[in-house]
Amino acid sequence: MNALVLKKPVLLAFLAAGVLTGCAGTQTVDGEYNPDPYEDANRSFYRFNDALDRNVMRPVAETYANVTPKPVRNSVTNFFDNLEYLNVILHSFLQGKLKQGFSDAIRFTVNSTMGIGGLFDVASGMGLKEHEEDFGQTLATWGLDQGPFLNLPFFGPNTARNTPDFASSYLANPLTYFSTIFLFPVTALNFVNTRANLLEATEFVEEASIDPYSFIREAYLQQRKYLIHDGNPPAEGYDDIFDSGLEDDSMLIIE
Amino acid sequence: MPLLSRQGAPRALLIVALSAPWGLAQGEGQVEAAPAPSVSAASQVVAALHDKLLEVMRRGAALGYQGRHQELAPLISRCFDTPVIAKIVLGRHWQALNDAEKAEFTALFDRFSAATYASRFKGYDGETFVEVAQAPLNRGRLLVKTELRRPRDEAVSLDYLTHQTGGEWRIIGVIANGVNDLSLKRVEYASVIKEKGYNGLLDAISDKIRAMEAGG
Repeated sequence: MNALVLKKPVLLAFLAAGVLTGCAGTQTVDGEYNPDPYEDANRSFYRFNDALDRNVMRPVAETYANVTPKPVRNSVTNFFDNLEYLNVILHSFLQGKLKQGFSDAIRFTVNSTMGIGGLFDVASGMGLKEHEEDFGQTLATWGLDQGPFLNLPFFGPNTARNTPDFASSYLANPLTYFSTIFLFPVTALNFVNTRANLLEATEFVEEASIDPYSFIREAYLQQRKYLIHDGNPPAEGYDDIFDSGLEDDSMLIIE
Repeated sequence: MPLLSRQGAPRALLIVALSAPWGLAQGEGQVEAAPAPSVSAASQVVAALHDKLLEVMRRGAALGYQGRHQELAPLISRCFDTPVIAKIVLGRHWQALNDAEKAEFTALFDRFSAATYASRFKGYDGETFVEVAQAPLNRGRLLVKTELRRPRDEAVSLDYLTHQTGGEWRIIGVIANGVNDLSLKRVEYASVIKEKGYNGLLDAISDKIRAMEAGG
């Protein structure tokens, strides 16, 4: 169970890569659904990010994890999660989840005050559940198609529909409005801490996957659908793969 | 600028650790079963797997990899319908195999499944498994929805796809927090076959098994 320690989904920023190609609709190949029409480019950026990770980010993150006490790492994680939570609140409301939105707002207030600037997650202990919302989920709720899978340089797996969240999460984060001199070391800490939190995830990918690129892509796309349905996707379609015949290699579509 | 946003899904990758495993079942699986066993029997199959997993996790360190493998492999063989799973994960490539090759792949996949379980379930930290619901699917299949509850972390949703074969319920898929291992492997294997051919896939799976055995 040691591999199950990561608490939050975050970008697999240094594992995979891709190209930002705009919000074109998902293409089809021979009439079949193809979530990854830019696979060649995506794979090349995956290799770039993987090399960057192996040579720079992972060694730094491992050193950081070795010298930083776990409670400190937890507080660093809590701090950045709390700052990013304003984006969650925004998108809870934009998806019409009013009750959840108010709960999220209280959660942010509690953790920012009683939790000393977000260093401690006091709210979870009070029953204020942490939610996972972003612009991509909002656009899905509004009916926008997923668009092509994108593996972005430095940022990793994404879809065209999710890319507006870069702007949303940037603008909704209080750190954005601090000076660059302050921002640089803080952002670096966020990177390293986040990568350290992903160490076990990446070890698992290496251990379990035969083709890490397609493994990550498929897991990412499925997890996005799960989040869009708030962890309760409809059971219909779960077993379509058994009735679809063997003539194609199509992915199981849960949505 | 906060470069790392909340979107993304590495947790999915962690969670798939729970959903990789299948064991060998004897004979060709049949989707339509004859005399209908009770629906609660599907729950019992899942519960039996969970009970054994907890037992092995508790004794994980003492058992070591080989011990865990010995404990888990027979039960996994009874719980999972591997011939059906093997056919699904190979997709259209399954049809190109002769009977001997199908049997060979099924056996290899069984070894891979047992090795994956033995490799992943090696420690205990207060976890419990709880069935939370059932949902009927197509052609008499049943989804058994469970949770892996952890004292120090969020629960993991574990949904088991089950069907009846030979008068018994068997597991044919695991979905962990929305990540379906059947679909994951189907896409991954198709990619490897396209790149390295079918024999390349066999070599890659064999390499993974050896690595897990060596890693303990």
